[in-house]
Amino acid sequence: MGFGVVGRALARLLLEEGERLAKRRGFRPIVVGVADSLGAAYDEGGLDMLEVLGAKERYGTVSKSSSGVRGMTGLELLGTVYADVVVEVTPTNLGDGEPGLTHIREALKSGMSVVTSNKGPLALAMPALMELARHRGAVLRFSGTVGGGTPVLDYGRRLSAGDYIEGVEGILNGTTNYILTRMTEGLEFQEALREAQERGYAERDPSMDLEGLDSACKLVIMANYVLGLKATLRDVEVKGIGGVTREEVAEAYHRDYAVKLVASIREDKLKVEPREVPRRSPLCVWGVLNAVTFKCRRLGEQTVVGRGAGGVETALSIIRDLAEVKRNLSGSLGGWA
Amino acid sequence: MGLRLLVMKFGGSCLTDGDSILRAAELVRDAFNRGDGIVAVVSAMKGVTDRLLNMVEGSLRGEDVREEIESLRADHVEATRRAVGDVEVRGEVERIVTTTISELERVLTAIGYLEEVTPRSRDYILSFGERLSTPILWGAIRSQGLKASWMTGGEAGIVTDSNFGEARPLMENTRLRVEAKLKPLLEKGIIPVVTGFIGEDLDRVVTTLGRGGSDYTATLIGEVLGADEIYLWTDVEGLMTADPRIVPEARIIEEISFEEAVEMAVFGAKRMHPRALVPAMRAGIPVVIKSLRRPEVRGTRITGEVKIGEGVVKAVTLVRGVGLLNVQGLRMIGMPGVAGRVCQLLGRKGINIFMISQSVSEANISLMISKDRLYQAESLIENALLGTGLISDVYVEEDVCVVAVVGAGMRGTPGVAARVFKAVASRGINVRMIAQGSSELNISFVVKEEDGEEAVRAIHQEFNLSGKT
Ligand SMILES: NC(=O)c1ccc[n+]([C@@H]2O[C@H](COP(=O)([O-])OP(=O)(O)OC[C@H]3O[C@@H](n4cnc5c(N)ncnc54)[C@H](OP(=O)(O)O)[C@@H]3O)[C@@H](O)[C@H]2O)c1
Repeated sequence: MGFGVVGRALARLLLEEGERLAKRRGFRPIVVGVADSLGAAYDEGGLDMLEVLGAKERYGTVSKSSSGVRGMTGLELLGTVYADVVVEVTPTNLGDGEPGLTHIREALKSGMSVVTSNKGPLALAMPALMELARHRGAVLRFSGTVGGGTPVLDYGRRLSAGDYIEGVEGILNGTTNYILTRMTEGLEFQEALREAQERGYAERDPSMDLEGLDSACKLVIMANYVLGLKATLRDVEVKGIGGVTREEVAEAYHRDYAVKLVASIREDKLKVEPREVPRRSPLCVWGVLNAVTFKCRRLGEQTVVGRGAGGVETALSIIRDLAEVKRNLSGSLGGWA
Repeated sequence: MGLRLLVMKFGGSCLTDGDSILRAAELVRDAFNRGDGIVAVVSAMKGVTDRLLNMVEGSLRGEDVREEIESLRADHVEATRRAVGDVEVRGEVERIVTTTISELERVLTAIGYLEEVTPRSRDYILSFGERLSTPILWGAIRSQGLKASWMTGGEAGIVTDSNFGEARPLMENTRLRVEAKLKPLLEKGIIPVVTGFIGEDLDRVVTTLGRGGSDYTATLIGEVLGADEIYLWTDVEGLMTADPRIVPEARIIEEISFEEAVEMAVFGAKRMHPRALVPAMRAGIPVVIKSLRRPEVRGTRITGEVKIGEGVVKAVTLVRGVGLLNVQGLRMIGMPGVAGRVCQLLGRKGINIFMISQSVSEANISLMISKDRLYQAESLIENALLGTGLISDVYVEEDVCVVAVVGAGMRGTPGVAARVFKAVASRGINVRMIAQGSSELNISFVVKEEDGEEAVRAIHQEFNLSGKT
């Protein structure tokens, strides 16, 4: 579902790495259907993805490929072809989660597993989707939603399986971190934003990042997956970086602090806000880097640092999830891995 | 939305006719006019669920049940006439009743042809009771000049698994859907009127919630919406210290904790199923049991707080309809596995064990089981274990009953058990078995059936539950 930056990066990656995956890991994903906003293409025997990529490039929609159907929606595609796994990579929508929410819900309802990088449906309805997956014996994976290519969610989950995680602090959004970094170096907010956009770090409509909503979504996913809380976006107190001035940032810097957009969970409370972080702290990363600190009762603080998300990183995380789904299905372990 | 949010559930036992539905509507109106947000949950009218079951049985036997269907229709139309004053609204409700009845007729005819009823279609047929009563209350409320909207439990957002007859809600999906459906209505000052007892599964097939039924619907919705109070309107004035038919001086308990109420529900307070209390308990929402006929009586308030000051014992109940299954074994001594095997065998068949006691010296396990499953349990154990050398005999005792003494104050008050058993012994009653490992909130024991009532009276008096000095 969805054939944009991430969907296409995944298709290319599967073409390039397919043979190696099959040989090394006995894992041979076959794409039987693709949908974009204008139509779909499907073939139960497996689509010729080179041709589908070509059609998308040339005509702007997969429905113009030889197996394409103009106007066929993602939902119709789900009802038409059987798949073991549905990869959901349509745009994030924090209003009602659509179309992703319906895609994921319907797939899980009919027992198909789901891999997604779409934060919207998870942020709005993660506990319900997890329950659905469990109920239908399907697997729901989403490691690309947080930390891009860095498997930070699973790292946290492993930690929490042994130790007790008392709190989480993270810099979860590359765009705002880049802007704050450049402001530390003397730019005004608007200048920094423009630069981020020029370099392709920020979307044309960067409001989700700037208002802290992107970080909030990731925090919700972390709260559910790592800490086992039943949270949704409404449970997060969110403040963006709109009010941060260059002077503030500079002044903090002189005291050996840095202003960061920090997402935190403490005593089951979820919060996103610009906050001062000691410059010596491992959490204090610069540029488009992300970092998450897990505060464990016995192991102490564990920090994971990684590059933020891009198309390829996210596609890689989807392959990782697909392999995980396969492991689960072949072990016939129903439920939520 | 008002300042407070109330869930008001009207039980079948008190919805006897049109007048009672009208009274229910007036209670909703009064609460709404005080500024509260209201969700109404409605059971089937009194006796209707049993009538539906009879129709199913009749259809299966190939009988013509049209007469029964017609009388069901007539009763609901009559109730509509009395409950819904506004002529236009009344017409609307009557049309719904008529369509619903013809649908029922079709389904029953189909069953007659197929000579078979699946759990799925049984659930569907059972849902008609609520689907007939709910529109009438909806009409009655609108006749009072309020805005209301009626819907089935499934439409309200209660999603369950497909375990027909005893469906379990998928809590998180239910939470999401109920909020999305009911919140906007409440914000607009519209009163949702929801059928109790029924939900739907992921394929939108009607399911029933089984035990706990409509109460469960009410507490689920209450939990999900974060209600301030849940009212269960019924035909009794509250939970009582004992069954008044046994103890004439029994009185209503005004305040009781969830824990205590659950114990009472487990041990015989027939009108309530413990599982119905769980959502309210989880969310800490007070549940009030009140009489529709006498709303001025305060009723019983079930809350999260335990008030011990009121005396150590709150109530004493008598559980009938149970029997003892005795399993005797020569080689059970030092073989604790046998008790586990027995419980596992019964559990797999869905046979509930209320009490268990094992006396090692006598090499005997006694299990308290519902009477209607007693002989099934006996042959189950016999087939599985007799002749394996593990046990030597299985036999049942039918003429027994359980007396349960409930009260949170018993925890940490020494000598309560001694007082209980002394009171019973002083009337010459022999205690057959004492429950082991049950919670400290109750003491329960088994006596001969004929001694049960006397034992209850003895304890009621010993702890002065009637409050007389
Ligand atoms: N890009 C990243 O680095 C990254 C990183 C992490 C997470 N994510 C998340 O991953 C998801 C995909 O990102 P992206 O960058 O690939 O987005 P994108 O380039 O905007 O692609 C979205 C795709 O979804 C399709 N689509 C839109 N509406 C649809 C509908 N109703 N039915 C079927 N398809 C529909 C679009 O169709 P058209 O092609 O016809 O427009 C497009 O192919 C988003 O939720 C994003 O937040 C992205």
